[in-house]
Amino acid sequence: MKRIGVFVCHCGINIAETVDVKRVAEEAKEMEGVAYAQDYIYMCSEPGQTLVREKIVEEKLDAVIIAACSPTLHESTFRAAAEEAGLNPWQCEIANIREQCSWVHTDREKATNKAIHIVATIVQKTKLNESLEPIPVSITKKALVIGGGIAGIQAALDIADSGYKVILVEKESSIGGHMAQLSETFPTLDCSQCILTPKMVAAGKHPNIELMTYSEIEGIHGYVGNFKVLIRRKAAFVDWSICNGCGLCMEKCPAKVSSVFDRELAKHGAIYVPFPQAVPNKPVIEQDSCIYFKSGQCRLCEKVCEIGAIDFEQNDQFVEEEVGAIITATGFETLPVADLAEYGAGDVPDVIDGLAFERLLSASGPTVGEVKRPSDGMVPKEIVFVQCAGSRDPERYKPYCSKICCMYTTKHALLYKHRVHDGQPYIFYIDIRTGGKGYEEFYQNAEEEEGIIYLRGKVAKIFRDGDKTVVWGTDTLTGRNIEIAADLVVLATAVIPKDSTAELAQKLRIQTGPNGFLAEAHPKLRPVESINSGFFIAGAAQGPKDIPETVAQASGAACKVISLFSRDHLEQDPAIAWVDEDLCGGCRICISVCPYDAREYDEEQGIALVNEALCEGCGSCVAACACGATQQRNLSDSQIKSMVTASLGGE
Amino acid sequence: MAKIAYYPGCALNERSSHLDRSARDATVKLGFELDELDTWTCCGAVPPVSEERVMNLVAPSRILKDVRDSGRDILITICDFCYNTLKRTNFSIKSDEIIRKRVNAFLADDTPERDYLEKDDSPWEDYAGEVKVIHLMEYLRDELGYDKITESLKRSLKGLKIAPYYGCVMLRPQNEIQLDDPENPAIIEDFITALDAQPVKYPYRTECCGSYLSVSSPDASTRLCYRILTSARNNGADAIVVSCPLCFYNLDSRQKAISEAYPDFTPLPIFYFTQLLSVALGVEFGRQGFEKHYVDVTPVLDKIASSTGKGDSE
Repeated sequence: MKRIGVFVCHCGINIAETVDVKRVAEEAKEMEGVAYAQDYIYMCSEPGQTLVREKIVEEKLDAVIIAACSPTLHESTFRAAAEEAGLNPWQCEIANIREQCSWVHTDREKATNKAIHIVATIVQKTKLNESLEPIPVSITKKALVIGGGIAGIQAALDIADSGYKVILVEKESSIGGHMAQLSETFPTLDCSQCILTPKMVAAGKHPNIELMTYSEIEGIHGYVGNFKVLIRRKAAFVDWSICNGCGLCMEKCPAKVSSVFDRELAKHGAIYVPFPQAVPNKPVIEQDSCIYFKSGQCRLCEKVCEIGAIDFEQNDQFVEEEVGAIITATGFETLPVADLAEYGAGDVPDVIDGLAFERLLSASGPTVGEVKRPSDGMVPKEIVFVQCAGSRDPERYKPYCSKICCMYTTKHALLYKHRVHDGQPYIFYIDIRTGGKGYEEFYQNAEEEEGIIYLRGKVAKIFRDGDKTVVWGTDTLTGRNIEIAADLVVLATAVIPKDSTAELAQKLRIQTGPNGFLAEAHPKLRPVESINSGFFIAGAAQGPKDIPETVAQASGAACKVISLFSRDHLEQDPAIAWVDEDLCGGCRICISVCPYDAREYDEEQGIALVNEALCEGCGSCVAACACGATQQRNLSDSQIKSMVTASLGGE
Repeated sequence: MAKIAYYPGCALNERSSHLDRSARDATVKLGFELDELDTWTCCGAVPPVSEERVMNLVAPSRILKDVRDSGRDILITICDFCYNTLKRTNFSIKSDEIIRKRVNAFLADDTPERDYLEKDDSPWEDYAGEVKVIHLMEYLRDELGYDKITESLKRSLKGLKIAPYYGCVMLRPQNEIQLDDPENPAIIEDFITALDAQPVKYPYRTECCGSYLSVSSPDASTRLCYRILTSARNNGADAIVVSCPLCFYNLDSRQKAISEAYPDFTPLPIFYFTQLLSVALGVEFGRQGFEKHYVDVTPVLDKIASSTGKGDSE
């Protein structure tokens, strides 16, 4: 018979107020197999852990049970302590008498009885626990970063600087993302491109970074440390290996295509680079807009290209890469103006979104930084900014706060005032939210010194009347309706996940939240990881965030990857499914229920096996297995049966 | 000829009889007949502004139940208020079990139950919202198809610029009415296009005409209608088209008061959609009841006549 020690934690008053911990310890002493039991005020403190270690030795314990908080918090703490005292870590179990008992009950007598039952249940489990060894898994020390915005660039640079190889995949032909579109950044007003382009260049030149722009993820399989990724490199119809980026082809191309980068405020040819500082600075031909692809005539770019880099015969290429960790940093999109019916449904030319206004303010934008409205190029004298356009509107649009709009709208109004001194900006807002270093000061200054009129209320309707864009709103502070015949209206449209995020998340088998943003493993304590091992997330793909936060999260995700790569091999939790090969009938129901693709069919033996590297120990296949061939280590059928009996008060 | 159950409502029986007649004429040309219910009562008209939860639903429920009992499942209305009232009543009966029971308690033939407040477990669930309430324009769009109208045109409305006016209750509340997007609707624009005329874009098409304020604060309605009419006119409209009798009254008759209050105002003809439809399908001008209009519609009729060479002499 095993000698089991039970250690009951008071957790200050968190447990002790509702549960009579001394009684739990006394009752535990009487349980079969329990050789020692003791309570203590903070079991996770150093003296608490010392108590556990000392008693393991003194009492010659074979296993310990810590009756305390949830195993997600301190299981690893106590398993490490047990190991120090010479126990196998899987001989240490947690009985959760806090989250599952003291916190959710008020009746002391009943809660104490329940705590005793919980301990008795875990005693039954512990009696039959085997000693296990972690499963070693090798690691491919090369990372994949998906998305070449500031998040992806920062993560790739941090990993590459620590000496590991990185593949940086970007859907567009250049890295840079939304940050490359911005004019100046709040609250310091430094030029966005000036601080971004050095990082773009560094990523482009880094010996450890392989840039794959104009590329998309096709498929992925494998597991943490050993992923195989299929990447589609889209046909650029330009041989980038010889193109020197001279730009002659772009000058000569007769096609006119609205620039996505310039938010359709400018046009470029069918062969183009999105912006002059592009990395790599190589053009692509947009097949749908190219006159030759549409009509079979033209090929002007080919004629002017002296080095013969144009290649109309190019096809998409597929490359397979092996990586050990994946960071998803696919960024954000904004709610299309066309979706906002009450704000003109995209039909009013002088209603634009914040990103379009960034292009108007940008020195490299279509107006070279002069604020000119799209309809007729006039410099707007009255300009209305509408915040929360689609955000904080659970009935019609998005329920969440898009977080960056209060700050960038203030910045917009301020930059507009700096360029058009006699202009009048108005800002409609619900609340001004300025959580961030230097943000409130930035807003205070703009409101008090810059002559921006803040109107607290929502805008009901925007329409065109002659050459004016009329805004109807309410000022809820004065209770009056407001009508402004503006020259230009800028909507702070809701930040939404990119269209492609859902599809990508499905390919990667990582989770998204209710609004389509990537889900983190824990909202507070694991913010840069996906729940699936080996997947990390960074930037606005996880939720609306500004540049400093994005960069911090990207470095955090990079650090997690570096930490993963710093090990010789990975250790997989051995408390996973295993198969009794004599019992398995090869029905394969386990394969259909496994959410991790960890069950595979062995044709030769006619049985279903467990891929130990992929198995997360969720137990789905164990429950589904009709003949009991699949069992979970340390949660066998006989363990569960005796645990159920004990939890119901039986012997 | 297919007959479809039709509820005219009070306005179409009297003041807006030209809306009723033009609708009947036009639908016959399109191959179906509006079959007026044998007996019908007031729809209730004002449930949208009523605090009462049950009593105001009894009259419209009785109408709907009668349609169901006569073996039909579609009821066409034209007046926007009747449409709103009947459709929302049906929605409440379908989606709210307590309302369904209470209303049915009143409709029961055998023992009408009056003290409904204590009777949430009332056994009467006879009428459960089986009838589909359809606006005539909705029927034309979804059941008949606007294409069918275009194919049947006898007079050309080409070159005529018509401003759609939606008013309030035709589209709202969206989750109950579900006719079109109340912020950016298209059903009347598409109707105008089907008639080969040109819809005019202007911002006031969904703004309020004053509705019942016409009775209590006529000046407010005058101001609102002035803005609607002027905006339509400034955007090039030859006329405005409506389907609601109250919108028609405010936009048409009120132009007298508007002309007095605003010296710069130029009158603008108002049509019911059924009048334009009926005219386009070849029905004589003389059957349209234009004599009931305050604003002279002749300039518009002249345009139609000259572009087709088909005036009322046909």
